[in-house]
Amino acid sequence: MGGVEDDEPASKRMKLSSEALIHLSNGSTVKESIVGSSRDLMARPLQSDGGEEVVGSKGVIKKVEFVRIIAKALYSLGYIRSGAHLEEESGIALHSSIINVFMRQVLEGDWDESVATLHNIGLTDEMIIKSASFLILEQKFFEFLDEEKVMDALKTLRTEISPLCINHGRVRELSLSIVSPSHCFTVRSPKQNTSRARSRTKLLEELQKLLPPTVMVPERRLEHLVEQALGLQRDACMFHNSLDEEISLFADHQCARDQIPSYALQVDANGISLKHKLSGHQKPVSSVSWSPDDHQLLTCGVEEVVRRWDASSGECLSVYEKAGLGMVSCGWSPDGKWIFSGVNDKSISLWELDGRELECWKGQHTLKISDLEITSDGKQIISICRETAILLLDREAKVERFIEEDQTITSFSLSRDNRFLLVNLLNQEIHLWSIEDDLKLVSKYRGHKRTRFIIRSCFGGLEQAFVASGSEDSLVYIWHRGTGELIEALPGHSGAVNCVSWNPTNPHMLASASDDRTIRIWGLNNLSAKQKDTHGNGIHYCNGGT
Amino acid sequence: MGRIFMITLEGRVYSCKHCFTHLALLDDIISKSFHCGHGKAYLFDKVVNITEGEKEERMMMTGLHTVVDIFCVGCGSIVGWKYEAAHEKAQKYKEGKFILERFKVLGPDGGNYLAIQESLVGGSSDADDA
Repeated sequence: MGGVEDDEPASKRMKLSSEALIHLSNGSTVKESIVGSSRDLMARPLQSDGGEEVVGSKGVIKKVEFVRIIAKALYSLGYIRSGAHLEEESGIALHSSIINVFMRQVLEGDWDESVATLHNIGLTDEMIIKSASFLILEQKFFEFLDEEKVMDALKTLRTEISPLCINHGRVRELSLSIVSPSHCFTVRSPKQNTSRARSRTKLLEELQKLLPPTVMVPERRLEHLVEQALGLQRDACMFHNSLDEEISLFADHQCARDQIPSYALQVDANGISLKHKLSGHQKPVSSVSWSPDDHQLLTCGVEEVVRRWDASSGECLSVYEKAGLGMVSCGWSPDGKWIFSGVNDKSISLWELDGRELECWKGQHTLKISDLEITSDGKQIISICRETAILLLDREAKVERFIEEDQTITSFSLSRDNRFLLVNLLNQEIHLWSIEDDLKLVSKYRGHKRTRFIIRSCFGGLEQAFVASGSEDSLVYIWHRGTGELIEALPGHSGAVNCVSWNPTNPHMLASASDDRTIRIWGLNNLSAKQKDTHGNGIHYCNGGT
Repeated sequence: MGRIFMITLEGRVYSCKHCFTHLALLDDIISKSFHCGHGKAYLFDKVVNITEGEKEERMMMTGLHTVVDIFCVGCGSIVGWKYEAAHEKAQKYKEGKFILERFKVLGPDGGNYLAIQESLVGGSSDADDA
């Protein structure tokens, strides 16, 4: 095949006209030889156009496999003639003839013949042969029962299925279904239904899954590979933050930067007015959180008490305290029925809303400066229990797990799906830990500054694909969670940015709070969203585009 | 201002004279034989709740060292220095360790320390050839 390019699949290459081939080659002699060989191919349909074993620029795609999955895809799409033509033209058969025979036997219900053919395929794994035989004979069994040939079904069960000596539980279920026909309907797996013809196709699919993929090409393999490639492209797209981005097959997917919130839409209190002043705490308030039903607030005074407020009336509903001790942190249960709080003797207490203490975990569970969170299923309570360790306490199983770090931990943030924890360290690093099954360090993020204060970070964006953080250099930092790359460092604040919060329902909105006494709302560069109104009394505002 | 991150130590604690922020434990003292402009200074293995200044080359009683000044996170007052690098082999043991000036801290018993009236040249002094 001389000077022809090697990086096109065999089927495509053969379809080039001889005129086109001239442009690729550099001599008439080559053209002739190509025309000659293609003619040869027509005359000998079953001869593979040997020589090239692989296709693609990297040389990792085996041509025979490639053509087979294309043929399979053509058949799945319903293009039977195209599929057959491809098999003929390439000389590569989708399935060997014995497999074709096997498939036909299964679809036509020639059970005994199909089991015999199964043994002739040349499978090396005994278990596969037995499991496949079991499936076929099970189908035979059920079809007999359908036709009310009970004795035949029984004979099949006794003499053909049982001797296989596998899946004894299923054998018992089958014998039960003879005894009580009504039971038969519950015993049947979902694949079995009233229409027998459809069952056989399903059976073939089950057999396909059982047999090695080289013997019987799996269904929708080409679609699966393409979906995998698209998935990888999407994961690699660092700015992917919008649902309506359609991924085309014609070009690699890559979003532009404009999907990340990077424009200050609003600074401080435009359009927001003071509703209530909640007075009562004697010490500085270290945390505020809304109840799950958004009607109440829980606040904690530093080494003081925890107070529960009604948000609409501003009234203090309850005070939670412990004699001689001070509360240091607080949070709501996911169902809003109880609250929990860290105490300055390192314990964690749980209270009913009415003030009755439910539980108290004594011992080294929390520190004076420690975040305290609960997973959304209410099962795990998470707290910084030692300078360099985070405790994950399973309330029901009473199991304790620890994330151990080398550096001092300053704060942490739990992802919405409870699978990840973002840990902020003293040495200006943010570590991403997976907390689902095993505790594993997944990623590190660097670039922001932290020397004195507690700086908070959070997850955000579409499917929490981004990590955002405050910083003492007054910038808001945004990283791509998967790759760890720093995407944005947003200027605008004139003081240390202490914390950030990404809108959970709008992936294009981010809020940041700073020592410059402003809160900034960041969004996309959409002209209609810019604020132009003026305010006195020292509130800063932004005209967009910073 | 943002919320300052402060570690709470347990045991016999040396704390900042001005704002009482915990700085170090008595158990982490390596040597008490150091001197500074205000009198005695102790060499500590570990110090918390401090921020570091810029690196400087300083000539001390025992030779040239690369040091950073350290400041209390609570009030920002200077409390001592940290040895980043020692240029002579015999002084290498100081690397990564901290000096707290006795005059700047309250001892575990809350005791203060009266500074010596003489002021030595340059802020730092050094010593201890252990």
